[in-house]
Amino acid sequence: MKKLISLLLALVMVLSLGSAAFAAPGDQADGKLTIWCWDKTFNIAAMEKAKEMYQAEHPDVEIDIEEVLSEDIESRVIASNGDTTTLPDIVLVQDHSIQKFVTNYPEVYHDITDEFDFSDFMPAKLGLSVVDGRNYGIPFDAGTVVAAWRTDYLEEAGYTVDDLTDIDMDRFLEIARDVKEKTGMPMLSGQAGAVDTVLIMLQSCGGSMFNEDGTANIAGNEKLKAVIETYNTMVAEGIFIEVNSWDEYIGTLSNGSVVGTFTGCWILSTIMSLTDQAGKWAVTNMPAMVGVDGATNYSNNGGSSWAIINNKDIDLALDFMQMYRNVDFYNEILPTTSAIACYGPAKEGSNYTAASEFFNGDAVFAKIVEFGDKVPAEVTGPYYYDARGNVGTAVTNALNGGDLDSELQTAQDTTEFTMGF
Amino acid sequence: MNEGAFKKYGKRTLIYVFLIIMSIISVFPLYWCFISSCNTTQQILGGRMVPSSHLMENLKNLFAQQDVLNAFKNSVINTVLVLVLSLAICSIAGYGFEIFHDKGKDAVMAVIMMSMMVPFVAILVPLFQMFTKMGFVNKYIGYILPSLSTPFLIMLFRNNARTFPKEVLEAARVDGLSEMGIFVRMFVPMMRPTFAAAATITFMNTWNAYLWPKVVLQTPDSITMPMLVANLLSGYVVDYGVVMAGVTICTLPTVIVFFILQRSFTEAVAGAVK
Repeated sequence: MKKLISLLLALVMVLSLGSAAFAAPGDQADGKLTIWCWDKTFNIAAMEKAKEMYQAEHPDVEIDIEEVLSEDIESRVIASNGDTTTLPDIVLVQDHSIQKFVTNYPEVYHDITDEFDFSDFMPAKLGLSVVDGRNYGIPFDAGTVVAAWRTDYLEEAGYTVDDLTDIDMDRFLEIARDVKEKTGMPMLSGQAGAVDTVLIMLQSCGGSMFNEDGTANIAGNEKLKAVIETYNTMVAEGIFIEVNSWDEYIGTLSNGSVVGTFTGCWILSTIMSLTDQAGKWAVTNMPAMVGVDGATNYSNNGGSSWAIINNKDIDLALDFMQMYRNVDFYNEILPTTSAIACYGPAKEGSNYTAASEFFNGDAVFAKIVEFGDKVPAEVTGPYYYDARGNVGTAVTNALNGGDLDSELQTAQDTTEFTMGF
Repeated sequence: MNEGAFKKYGKRTLIYVFLIIMSIISVFPLYWCFISSCNTTQQILGGRMVPSSHLMENLKNLFAQQDVLNAFKNSVINTVLVLVLSLAICSIAGYGFEIFHDKGKDAVMAVIMMSMMVPFVAILVPLFQMFTKMGFVNKYIGYILPSLSTPFLIMLFRNNARTFPKEVLEAARVDGLSEMGIFVRMFVPMMRPTFAAAATITFMNTWNAYLWPKVVLQTPDSITMPMLVANLLSGYVVDYGVVMAGVTICTLPTVIVFFILQRSFTEAVAGAVK
């Protein structure tokens, strides 16, 4: 009996002393800059470099960079319910999530419109973090679309990468059919239902799933319809193979079972990790849509921006973030992270203009920054991911024989329902 | 062989074939997880189903990228605390509800059971707000407190307490044993299988918990093993060999605990069904 009472007392002590004796190490302390981001080889590595360069001039500033997954940052912002006590000074946000989170938690994110110089940043990228004309994000990595092709497969079919540069979709389909006939290889691959490729093509001609006033623009959107029809043609003819998961998509590139891909330039770090394929890849721009107003060979897919949190050391955070207007900084992080700057002047850096051995001496990074300047701006909104999911369903149903117009109408209705119209 | 024997053995063979197939399906994810931790990303994506010699390399990279020992230590501390405390609290609660049974307690039990239907996500925001104000964020107490008393464990102990013989209870009372003495000296030893089942379930739930810890444990020093594995998947470039090495390390304790307690677990669950 005594033993039981002692045990219970011990349990009570554990509970009551929990906050003191069992405090996990590393509690947040005041007076320093805390940053949350999520990729050790990419944005964390970039921030570590920014920290090193900043601390060289400001040795007294303490900067803590913590690895927190993108979805975990979102969960913590939701759980905080507007109270920034438990949040850090700076967080990295996925570009298409910024508007939703700023709209839902306006008290969390600091309006930096008048406090940060946004000149020389890619216009298409800046627009993603603007809510009601106010800016809430400092652009980090570009998702500028590149078309990466296996030159050995192209040569086998009698083509070079120049034949795929500055072309339109008609010419691309012609080449793709020929390559498939001669080598048996599909040109592209992608995750079924993920609609990355559809939205890349849509933005390349300045299209969007939303109107300027924020309303859904899916049904009766001629650009979207033309893009889906082109996509479905590619899938139906076996030029584009749909796979079930992201891992399988990466697998098609690493196994060499497709000729190439066009997607955000972040894919290059995956491609460059395939050391056995060095010298076999080339980078160019994507094919432009045909018969659509404003069609270009440039687009964007993915990327992230830094947001500054309210009720923290905002002045210090803003001063630190000046690093993202520093050409030397972008030049330093490029070789280790492959993070392509959204800051125009960065392309003058020596690492940007240097020839890439992997890509047969082509200065791919400077090329991508140039592509970035030509990307048409995209109208986006808080309901981006909802609309994206609904368009994905429409594309899949149309591929399975559904009527595209009515599928797009359903996607429009579902999106409007979510938006609360 | 006569027809009866043929029927008997034929039926048994069918059952064994079915069980073997089900066993393979159940064990395959574990097998694939371990095999993949011995392979490189390219081999995994290429569908290789036999191990190669990259286990040490993957482990080396895993330990270089993440503080595995710290995450493992945190997971062990959190799990042991929750395990000991929740078994103590829920077993007493379940015992009390059954042995000192009356209409009022039935009503309370009904309320507790109803709380099983409220998803944790629904209480996440208010709970986090409360814990922020109490200063429990990034503390072990913040992690363990919401898991200490679970309706399921109380129900499990209450249901199993029904099999506790009334004669033993009355005899112990006649012999002058206090109510707490009866619980500790009579109930606990007799209900060992129930404790084993409850321990297995609690261990698995706590060890694998993800949503609450990722919200309440915010510093890199306080992350747990499932959070560490999730971190490995965050980048544009994912090293699947390293991820699977992390998953293997994260899974092993659960497998070991399950194997140690499996007989008692089966007995208790079968008892509960009866």
